[in-house]
Amino acid sequence: MASEASSSKGEFDIYQTYRKILDDEEMSPPLAAILSLSQLMVESNAGTMFELVKELHDGAEELKRHTTNPISLNAGCELFIAFVTLFPHESDSFAELKTELVKQGQKYAKEAISYRNKIAELMLDFIKDDSVILTHSYSRVVMRALLHAHKTKRISVYVTEARPRGLGVKTHEVLTAVGIPCTVVLDSAVAYVMDKVDFVLVGSEAVVESGGLINAVGSNQMAIIAKAAHKPFYALAESYKFHRLFPLSQYDLPTHNPSILSFPSLPPRPFVTPPTTSGVSPPIAKSGIDESLNVTPTSSSERSMSAEMTAKNPDVDYTRPDLISLVFSDVGILTPEAISQYLVAMFAG
Amino acid sequence: MAPAPSLPIHPPNGPVNGDASKQPPQGRSSQKSMTKAERRELQEKQRAAKAAAKAGGPVNGAPSKQAAKPTPQATAAATPKRPTKSNEAPAPTASALRTQTAARARAASVSVPTPANARGLRIFSHFGLPKPVSVAKGDIHPTILRLALQFSEFKITGANARCIATLSAFKTVIQDYATPPNNTLSRHLMTYLSPQISHLVAARPMSVTMGNAIRQLKLEISGSDIDLPEQDAKDALCQKIDNYIRDRIIIADQVIEETAGNKIKDGDVILTYARSSVVQKVLLGAHAEGRQFSVIVVDSRPMLEGKRLLSVLASAGIQCTYILLPALGAIITEVTLVLVGAHSIHSNGAVYSRAGTALVAMMAKLHSVPVVVCCETYKYSETVQLDSFTKNELAPQGDLFSSFPSVKARDSLTLENDEHLEILNPLYDLTPPNCITAVVTEVGVIPPNSIGSIPVALGRLL
Repeated sequence: MASEASSSKGEFDIYQTYRKILDDEEMSPPLAAILSLSQLMVESNAGTMFELVKELHDGAEELKRHTTNPISLNAGCELFIAFVTLFPHESDSFAELKTELVKQGQKYAKEAISYRNKIAELMLDFIKDDSVILTHSYSRVVMRALLHAHKTKRISVYVTEARPRGLGVKTHEVLTAVGIPCTVVLDSAVAYVMDKVDFVLVGSEAVVESGGLINAVGSNQMAIIAKAAHKPFYALAESYKFHRLFPLSQYDLPTHNPSILSFPSLPPRPFVTPPTTSGVSPPIAKSGIDESLNVTPTSSSERSMSAEMTAKNPDVDYTRPDLISLVFSDVGILTPEAISQYLVAMFAG
Repeated sequence: MAPAPSLPIHPPNGPVNGDASKQPPQGRSSQKSMTKAERRELQEKQRAAKAAAKAGGPVNGAPSKQAAKPTPQATAAATPKRPTKSNEAPAPTASALRTQTAARARAASVSVPTPANARGLRIFSHFGLPKPVSVAKGDIHPTILRLALQFSEFKITGANARCIATLSAFKTVIQDYATPPNNTLSRHLMTYLSPQISHLVAARPMSVTMGNAIRQLKLEISGSDIDLPEQDAKDALCQKIDNYIRDRIIIADQVIEETAGNKIKDGDVILTYARSSVVQKVLLGAHAEGRQFSVIVVDSRPMLEGKRLLSVLASAGIQCTYILLPALGAIITEVTLVLVGAHSIHSNGAVYSRAGTALVAMMAKLHSVPVVVCCETYKYSETVQLDSFTKNELAPQGDLFSSFPSVKARDSLTLENDEHLEILNPLYDLTPPNCITAVVTEVGVIPPNSIGSIPVALGRLL
């Protein structure tokens, strides 16, 4: 219903714009959101600040509705809306102000693409020759950092498979093509390989107020193992991924819903009457349970999870701040405690 | 005087050798050749001699706050105890030395009813014993007198309640104040208020909230415009006080209620300790919004404040369970969220709160239950506190809080200090920052290690 409203408003479909912007490989969801919201401002007929901000909120809601994992998207939207609200109003006319805001929004998005280079540069000093690096899944900012380091140093990389999406294999392809020795590691073999590794490097979906990290599922595991093996755990995050969310636990994430890790509801076990005096007990209907689960036994030596099994698993997890050594960002190299101070400074006006 | 054989046990009637008057001139060399027990006996004899010289009774009535120095009164009261102690079989020498240092550090007030209490405590003696409110020095306003009495009898408890009561009392004092001729309000009012504040502090040590509020008040007074007519200036000050209460406490509580309420989900089992006014508001607010949750109230003696919270929550229709602190281990696995209040938070992220809160937080951390502290920003103290010993407060003895059922005779139930037993009731303890998951303030949800950013956030708002 909301999409009809926006399309009737001059046929501006924010979600289509967003998807088109995301076609560019280099674009990440928060930046695409910022650009789409800037575009929405251009098309908007709002006459006052209040109306404009309301339209922006509606646009952000619209975008969030279409994605299953809205956390990083949320971060970008909130950043832009906060920026718009706090922008100093020097111009007299509202139209001028709007144009100025749109310009700023587009300028920001353009600059933000270069953030990855800044982070790669900061990371360079922490990578020594012959470093063995462990990374998780596929992250553009980690790729940029590794490729940048490869120009001047010798590195080798372990990457986890990152099931179920299997993006680790993509990382492997990209790195091998450039000439970096790379091996894919099973998600379950992280503890096995940890002692061979010099440090762990991951990207991020969002960095939250507590200083913790939200990233593809498996990052938390890796951080815990790294801590146990006394290896540094570094997270790379552009500043537009900083979010004011504060999850108290894994299950406090906005992406968590009751179906994740839920147990299947099995049909009630038929009531077994106590053995009769003759000693014959009625048979228990075992076959009925099997049928309800639709377990199709595979005959191959390797089994894999069915789609509905995978659906019960989370996409992202939360890594606690005490497990993270440093967060590398375009605003500098921060400790997890400093993230909150940065967020407070940025959002408190 | 020949040194006795080196046996740690001394005969019941004290060592046979020497009498008190001869001992002092002997000097150090003979002391070294004595055993520790005999040295102790020597000290006791010396003390008895001193006490005999000062015999004539303890100092009465004067409410002097005695600093930590050897007070003859203390030793006078202590002396009757000494001989009985020496009658005991081998007293450990460590306790002998401790008694000596304790006697020196004693800040006992002798106006306390029984002489037994005047002996003082071995540890926490640097806090001083709580004293009954005495004759006031100087011109104390009746409102302040009443408030001090209420504080000393623990009729008003809780950081927020005490601060609001103090500020309201000061409003009355300011309105009744008249600037003497040849003086300005901004300069004289502060000197007028100082004895009032001291009187309150003498009744019960000041809370951090009261301290911050009074500091703010003094700032406002000193910034008060000299040219304003007196009544206007007084009205302006009262207005400032009202604004402080409104902004830093009432509205802050509303923001915290909403923010913390959002962390409560349907089906949660929330644990809280003792009674925090903010946590009470949060729970009532979340319940009014229709969230389904149950509450476990953990309580402990002597104050048993949790009972009040329990009655408020239960009458609102929230499902509650009430347990005492020792039972915490049994139910912690059922808990999904711990919500506690605070007396103050410190810049290293430590939370100073009712004694027992640290236990709850540590237990929760061990079981991976998130611990959320609800705290207004005016409770922030720039100091760093590392343990519960350097700063604390002791509850007065006796059954002040009526925490035993009235069907039993009070005397049989409350423990009184006697020669072999000392009662210690610290009222506060310190929760280290690593046990806390998040602090909810009106400027946002902040991780404990970043508490230092509160002044930054406040600086923008003020």
